[in-house]
Amino acid sequence: MEHTVNYLVCIPLLPLAGAFVLGMMHMLTCKNPLPEKLYSFLAMLGPLGSLIFTVIIFSTLREMPAESRYLTQNMFTWFSAGDLHVDMGLFADPLSTLFLIFVTFIGSLIHIYSIGYMAGEENYGKYFAYFNLFLGSMLILVLGNGPVVMFIGWEGVGLCSYLLISFYTKDRDNVLAGNKAFIVNRVGDLGFVLGVAVLFWGLHSALGGAGFDYLNIKAGASTLTAGTGLAVCLLLFIGATGKSAQFPLYVWLPDAMAGPTPVSALIHAATMVTAGIYMVARFSFLYASYPFAGDVVAWVGILTALLAAIIGCFQRDIKKILAYSTVSQLGYMFAGVGVAAYSAGIFHVFTHSFFKALLFLGAGSVIYALHHEQDIWKMGGLKKKMPLTWIVMVIGALALAGFPPFAGFFSKDEILFMALAKGHWMIWLIGVCVAGLTAFYSFRLIFLVFHGKPRDQKSYDNAHEPPPVMTVPLIILAVGATFAGFFNLPAFFSGDSMVSTWLAPSLLEHHSEASRVTEGVAMVLSIAVVLLGIFYAWKKFASKPEDKPLTGFAKWGEDKFYVDEFYNAFIVQPWIAFGRTISNFIEPNIVDLPVKGTTWLYGVLGMLFKVFQAGYVRVYAIYMVIGLSLMSIFLSQSL
Amino acid sequence: MIEDYLVLSVILFCIGILGVISRRNVFTVLMSIELMLNAANLAFVAFARLNETMDGQILAMMVIAVAAAEAALGLAVIILLHRQKGRLDSNVFSLLKG
Repeated sequence: MEHTVNYLVCIPLLPLAGAFVLGMMHMLTCKNPLPEKLYSFLAMLGPLGSLIFTVIIFSTLREMPAESRYLTQNMFTWFSAGDLHVDMGLFADPLSTLFLIFVTFIGSLIHIYSIGYMAGEENYGKYFAYFNLFLGSMLILVLGNGPVVMFIGWEGVGLCSYLLISFYTKDRDNVLAGNKAFIVNRVGDLGFVLGVAVLFWGLHSALGGAGFDYLNIKAGASTLTAGTGLAVCLLLFIGATGKSAQFPLYVWLPDAMAGPTPVSALIHAATMVTAGIYMVARFSFLYASYPFAGDVVAWVGILTALLAAIIGCFQRDIKKILAYSTVSQLGYMFAGVGVAAYSAGIFHVFTHSFFKALLFLGAGSVIYALHHEQDIWKMGGLKKKMPLTWIVMVIGALALAGFPPFAGFFSKDEILFMALAKGHWMIWLIGVCVAGLTAFYSFRLIFLVFHGKPRDQKSYDNAHEPPPVMTVPLIILAVGATFAGFFNLPAFFSGDSMVSTWLAPSLLEHHSEASRVTEGVAMVLSIAVVLLGIFYAWKKFASKPEDKPLTGFAKWGEDKFYVDEFYNAFIVQPWIAFGRTISNFIEPNIVDLPVKGTTWLYGVLGMLFKVFQAGYVRVYAIYMVIGLSLMSIFLSQSL
Repeated sequence: MIEDYLVLSVILFCIGILGVISRRNVFTVLMSIELMLNAANLAFVAFARLNETMDGQILAMMVIAVAAAEAALGLAVIILLHRQKGRLDSNVFSLLKG
């Protein structure tokens, strides 16, 4: 079977080329911009082209035998030093192809939506250049043939998130949010880089100068010592917590709402935050060998899910609620990959990308209709004005809450059931509670935004459905959010677990069997909890919501448990103080000491010797006589 | 014999040095330099006689030629100095003072 192909590179290259062309055009014509139609046409070429190539790769892979399903392409040797040999190469196997499918598909839809959402905005061309760059970076991340190539994309998405979060640069808060995202990500990136370095250090003799890519790493993984392997897993997971917004590095994601709403959709659904899950799943052969690392991943994930869900229940900003829901859902995914149910975690990434993109774009429509109003307590009753948005948002909320038969149900329940089946009943229990909370906050949002009486009559009167360029992607995503779950119908519903089967060659996974009765009971229980959450939200917010100031625990939740304040007080401020000390004291007094000391030394020497420079010719004559005399004496001595 | 000439030469040379160092009038300084040159000439000629070669004589001739050129230059410099400050006291010209 021929595994080497030459069209893999087109997938990341098309959006990157689009980014280059759009960026150049924008830079050269920013004084008098070109028509928006031209920009949007060019911006669409990259994502759609990538989508077409993805379909080609998918069909090629399907024709291969399952156990050797992969395509590679080596462009050139990037660098080679000692045993470290890194090729600039791409690698597509079932796992990366699944990511390619939804990244390019959802990415394209968000591009289409952006054409409507960003219409008339300043820097229209720049926006699409960044968007294409974002997509291209994510595709490199997914397609890279080894951790080093993956790191290009890893950093690329970090950069693009920074650029897009602070897109409205006129507001200082937006720029600070962008900085925060970048700096917090940097903390995680350090873990990733160290993890890759330790991995190479542990493997270098096993590799023996062969390419540092997934196939060789996987082949040599058994030679790692237990300590090294565990260290690699934990360090890589630090990287994943940064990029995928897990505790303790999740704080950047809610602030990332400062960017335009389609950017949030792109970050939360298709790109960036899924990178951490992808990376853990990609190294499943490592994580599977170290159950302790898996437990850490699962526990961090599920606790993040709980924390973010609680915070999400008390937020007022429609986008912040969705942001915390993303953090919470990502927690589920990590719980899934942590308990070694990799395909369940990845499948949740897949379904989540549909309904989260849907929810964000729907929220974008609401924000667009209300002229950038984001406080849900100032909305209400929008059902009549925006029926289509209402329907798709309800579908999105049902999918997010995990109500059957919407997409989230199958994927989330799969994770919870797997946790139970593998004996992590505490994780399962917390997961079920989080499911209830998720249902509560997502329907709190729906009821407050779309039901009841309008609380701000003026903006209610001006509200209207967005143009078709925005609603069509919403409808497509709503269809996806409804039916995506059926791609991986478990055996319980006499399905064939299509996605799990497809992913099986890429992942090292042991399926545990539990009785059908357990599965059924767990499922009924989680549906009941979801219904309870929806019912409670209905009771509290549907008819007569009261916007009274929160107290006690709720106040804590609204203020995000003061995690940001904690970081500010215990990490940021000490760090700033440390920096001040260095710049005000250590730098001028210790670092500069040799330099300043040298100038001082020469100054003093000059002061001493200037006494001899009397300026009188006679004095110089004396010096000359003395010098010549000494020289003569010296010469006569040596005769 | 030769010692007498050399002693005379050294005495002349020392008088010249003392003149250069102690006198403040630039003319006197220039004349002292001439004296030192002639002290050297005396030594050259004395050694030439001692060794019965012409080398010392030739060198003495060359020193006289150089001294003539130097006197011409030196006098020109002195004129310029006088035009600058209107005086010939060498202490006035102390631009190199540190």
